[in-house]
Amino acid sequence: MKATATRYRFWKWALLVLAALAGNMGPTAAAGPQDYAKSGGETGEPGGKLVVALRSEPKTLNPILSVDVTSREVIGVLNADLIHINRETQRTEPALAKSWTISADGTKYVLQLRREIKFSDGAPFTANDVVFSFELYLDEKLHSPQRDLLAIDDKPIVVKKLSDYSVEFDLAKPYGPAERLFDGLAILPSHLLEKPYHDGKLQQSWSTSARPEEFAGLGPFKLSSYVPGQQMTLQRNPYYWKKDPRGNSLPYLAAVTFLFVPTEDAQVIKFQSGETHLLERLNADNFTLLQRGATAKGQCLQDLGPGLEFQFLVFNQNHLDSGKAPDLVAKQSWFRDLKFREAVSLAMDRKGMARLVYSGRATPIWGNVTPGNKLWLDPNLPHPERSIEEARKILQSGGYSWNSGGTLLDPQKRPVTFTIMVSSSNVQRSKLATLAQDDLKQLGMDVQVVPMEFRALVDRLLNTKDYEAVLMNLVNGDVDPTPEMNLWLSSGETHLWDLGEAHPATPWEAELDHLMEAQMTTNDPAARRKLYYRVQEIVAQNLPFIFLVSPNILVAAQSTVGNFHPAILEPYVLWNADELFVGRAGAAKCQ
Amino acid sequence: MSMNSGHRQLLLLFSLVLLHVFMVVPGFFAPYDYSEQNRELPFSPPTRLHFIDSAGRFHLMPFIHPFRASEDGSAPYVEDQARAYPLHLLKDGAPYRVLGLWTARLHLFGVEQPGRIFLFGTDDFGRDELSRMLFGGRISLLAGILGAAMAIFAGAVLGVLSGFYGGWLDGLIMRTAELFLALPWLYLLFAVRAILPLHIKTTQTLLLLITVVGLVGWARPGRLVRGIVLSAKERNFALAAKAMGASNFHVLRWHILPGTYGVLLTTAALLVPQFILAEVTLSFLGLGVGEPVPSWGSLLAELQNYSVLTSYWWMYLPACSLIVLFLTYHWASTTLQDKVAEVRS
Amino acid sequence: MVRVARRILHGLLLLLGVSTLSFVLVSAAPGNFFDELKLNPQISASTVASLKMAYGIDKPWPVRYERWLRSALRGEFGYSLSYRCPVGTLLWPRAQNTLLLTSLATLLAWMIAVPWGILEALNRGKWLDRIGGGVTAIFLAIPELVLGLLFLLLAARTGWFPTGGMFSSHGAEAALLGKLPDLGIHLVLPVVALVFGAAPLLIRYVRSAVAAVLDAPFIEAARGHGLSTTRIVYRHALPAAANSLISLLGFSIGALLSTSLIIEVVLDWPGLGPLVLESLLARDTYVVMAVVMLSSVFLVTGNLLADLLLYASDPRIRTV
Repeated sequence: MKATATRYRFWKWALLVLAALAGNMGPTAAAGPQDYAKSGGETGEPGGKLVVALRSEPKTLNPILSVDVTSREVIGVLNADLIHINRETQRTEPALAKSWTISADGTKYVLQLRREIKFSDGAPFTANDVVFSFELYLDEKLHSPQRDLLAIDDKPIVVKKLSDYSVEFDLAKPYGPAERLFDGLAILPSHLLEKPYHDGKLQQSWSTSARPEEFAGLGPFKLSSYVPGQQMTLQRNPYYWKKDPRGNSLPYLAAVTFLFVPTEDAQVIKFQSGETHLLERLNADNFTLLQRGATAKGQCLQDLGPGLEFQFLVFNQNHLDSGKAPDLVAKQSWFRDLKFREAVSLAMDRKGMARLVYSGRATPIWGNVTPGNKLWLDPNLPHPERSIEEARKILQSGGYSWNSGGTLLDPQKRPVTFTIMVSSSNVQRSKLATLAQDDLKQLGMDVQVVPMEFRALVDRLLNTKDYEAVLMNLVNGDVDPTPEMNLWLSSGETHLWDLGEAHPATPWEAELDHLMEAQMTTNDPAARRKLYYRVQEIVAQNLPFIFLVSPNILVAAQSTVGNFHPAILEPYVLWNADELFVGRAGAAKCQ
Repeated sequence: MSMNSGHRQLLLLFSLVLLHVFMVVPGFFAPYDYSEQNRELPFSPPTRLHFIDSAGRFHLMPFIHPFRASEDGSAPYVEDQARAYPLHLLKDGAPYRVLGLWTARLHLFGVEQPGRIFLFGTDDFGRDELSRMLFGGRISLLAGILGAAMAIFAGAVLGVLSGFYGGWLDGLIMRTAELFLALPWLYLLFAVRAILPLHIKTTQTLLLLITVVGLVGWARPGRLVRGIVLSAKERNFALAAKAMGASNFHVLRWHILPGTYGVLLTTAALLVPQFILAEVTLSFLGLGVGEPVPSWGSLLAELQNYSVLTSYWWMYLPACSLIVLFLTYHWASTTLQDKVAEVRS
Repeated sequence: MVRVARRILHGLLLLLGVSTLSFVLVSAAPGNFFDELKLNPQISASTVASLKMAYGIDKPWPVRYERWLRSALRGEFGYSLSYRCPVGTLLWPRAQNTLLLTSLATLLAWMIAVPWGILEALNRGKWLDRIGGGVTAIFLAIPELVLGLLFLLLAARTGWFPTGGMFSSHGAEAALLGKLPDLGIHLVLPVVALVFGAAPLLIRYVRSAVAAVLDAPFIEAARGHGLSTTRIVYRHALPAAANSLISLLGFSIGALLSTSLIIEVVLDWPGLGPLVLESLLARDTYVVMAVVMLSSVFLVTGNLLADLLLYASDPRIRTV
């Protein structure tokens, strides 16, 4: 009897010791074989809860299908990518891939992955997940929008697993911005999604109505709950692969709540009342409004300067059938005349537009690369001052004249009159159009502003090409010029002023084609920059677009938000969500 | 304190006519053209009229000090005491067209250049709000009257037919009414706007859209009229008239229709403001008149902006004038209703 | 009974007609959901084209209509292009939220409008009527959007009411009993805004209808007999005036789903309003269709009820 009791006690103690040892070997141990990344921000206080307002609900949490900005923003904090673009420096940095090598001919990239990293549900992350994810992005049947980015000259990249923690990517040609491609491509858990994919049910997976248990990601947060129409709450991912300089695991925040607040005015009100901590993009009027009480409350309001958005005027230079639209084709003789476009550009009161429409919080631009793009802006671009007299002189030299009533007449003595289409849903663009109309009146042009619902406008712009001039905006997705190739290539699908040309219509467009192709396939950053500077020069000389202003990025944070480093690239305030913390008042240090 | 009803009706008539005269010749009453921008004076508050100058002298004709940007941040604008411009009546100014026929230059009041008089302040481009309100009223009023007229006319005709003849015609008309009420007419408007050629003047587009909304809007007046007609035609006087051999038309004209006048008048006085509001909604959605032509809808749309709502009180003035107009219509409608009731009894 | 059955059949035919016509209208508006993608230089036209094919948007409208009809009969009402899920799952929770708001507001509006309108009619021509008329005129003149913004302003400045939403961020997860006061305070502003929007019109019509009746000889006779005013109004005048009021009641019921669109958008109430506006502008066709159909059902029901009540209330109406 006594012997059994002793043996039992031995095993009990042995088990206890083993359990203690095993407990110490969990992921919170400072030592261990995991390759954790180090963050650079200041050390913060853990445990805060952040509340942010979103303009609309995310439509889906499936990275393969998401196209809208809100979905991408939420997906961005739920998942991680291999190589990430640091929004502050605008350069790439290692993320899930801790290092990589590029072959001599520039077509093979071998990425070394971090070891011993786990998904938010505890499953291990290996090269299998990387290969699986890219298989999904490249699958034609899934129609992922990311697929086009991963195809160079219509040849998709080839992904090969070399070992459990290294993957090789083969490109058809050397590709200058190859590293930047990986940013935003979420790495998906093969252990959860492989079965739905093979069953053909991937498109129904990870919708907003899926339960939190169905998700697993490598981002700093994981889904906790979702109330349709009202809010979505995320909670901290305990397995996140980054630590702060002191060795504490990130993220600091215990939870992030997204409130769905559809109007900007309501968002401002919620921020003022303290219900939300951050404001992502304000318009100038609300910024001024908030500034009045900001210092008293210690709130941090920042004007980050111009972002990557540019507003411009484009004239219809498509080759159209003169039988079907004789009036339009007749007017195109003006639109195709470089002197006409130069005069229009000189007449635009860019400073007035920035002052009146954006309360001064916008920057006049003369090219599509804004001053916010630190790496690629050509510093030698001319910035001609507004001058109605100069514009008139140029028109005169082009054979234009004025009648006694002051109306501008073209060389064939026809009065110059045309319409500018503008999207009715954007108040500021309508105002820009009004100012442009008044400016052109001073040249004697009779311009009518036509507000049109956005999709009808896009239909006319891209499909029927039935328009005269359009005032619109575009936002560059990245500082790098390559994603915008389709704007400059003659065959590009967004070569807005002259769509559907298989061959360049003018010598300068031919040169643009050549330059853009060259910068895409060069790996040397200095050489690429030189090529792109030349592109900007050509565009400034030939004015296919008449650039107007770029609105500044305006953000706000309560004083309790720490590590607040907003940037001009999306997502403006949440890009470093893993470093943000909610602490004592005054944590948000404003520049 | 109380006027007799004859005086009251004259006063009513006079105010209605006055309001509409403003709309017919806005150019005379407005000191400036509606599109004239003053880019250095956005959101300037209303100009103050002074009768006593800095030396303490009284002037019969008031004068104004122009605004300039202030140095400190206390207010965006201060009066420039160094310069003064007297008010002139019947002054020459920007040209405008009267009834689209001839061009005139005479304005009711104004000040010498480079002075500016903004009795109702300016908008975000420094355009005089008073001038824009007067010109804008023309379009909004036209839209309101046109839309209401279409709706009432179509509604009355169809409602009477439906109620009087009953049977399958009634069924058909009422089902069509429900169809019209259920349709997402917003899509229809987008579609109509989008297929129109770009060159139609936006005023014409707006009126076309209002006509569409008006025609679509016959359903409610129609249903109301139908209800009354249904009930009226079975009343004793109607049955008696028929028994005596009166034709359907006679019964309709003399016995049934009068019963609908009350409803139609109320509806008319209600619909004009509602169609003006419809124009406001269309402007909010971007289907209204294009810049720089103003309408009360586009003027009110500026209030959509929270900071305008809280900082610039003079931008509410178009709303006030709208209310004044609606009050007058309301007064007219109740007076007419009472008059009709009087006549019938 | 046969009459009711016939009206129901008419109603169903009407729904079919509405759905067909709406579908045609929706297809007539130029542009489609994927046009926005086309404007993005990073997405190729072939991807857009293949997306269109995958969702069947490139097919002619009769084919799409027929497919949608079948899906509607299954209760799914098609597929949302923005949300990538069956429309039904989007619709029901939001429809409930809208109905909560509008039923409350409509009830309150009628409860205010009938006594006020009667009061005005009884005092017609006197100062009470004039002032009342002026107040309703003012409220009729204020566009709903401005009203909504003013309420938002009120909430922000005073802090007495929440600035939109249906629950506060912790309220959504509370138990039922805890939810009710939170829901209540969030309901105040939108309901009041809706009542301010709906009541003036009702008051006008009630006044007009009752005033017309009060001039009738039989009312004079009743007064001559010495009946009290209350009795006259509630037992004699009101039933006679009921004719137009019943039609209005039909409209009120019929508009339960659509009347609150602007207020929901401005005051951030998670109902059908924001959903349908967003889907309209994004050309998410099937969502719009489903909302239109749902609204039509309410409309038809409202009118049916009104007709039946008319028939029941006025025995002189023989044809219906």
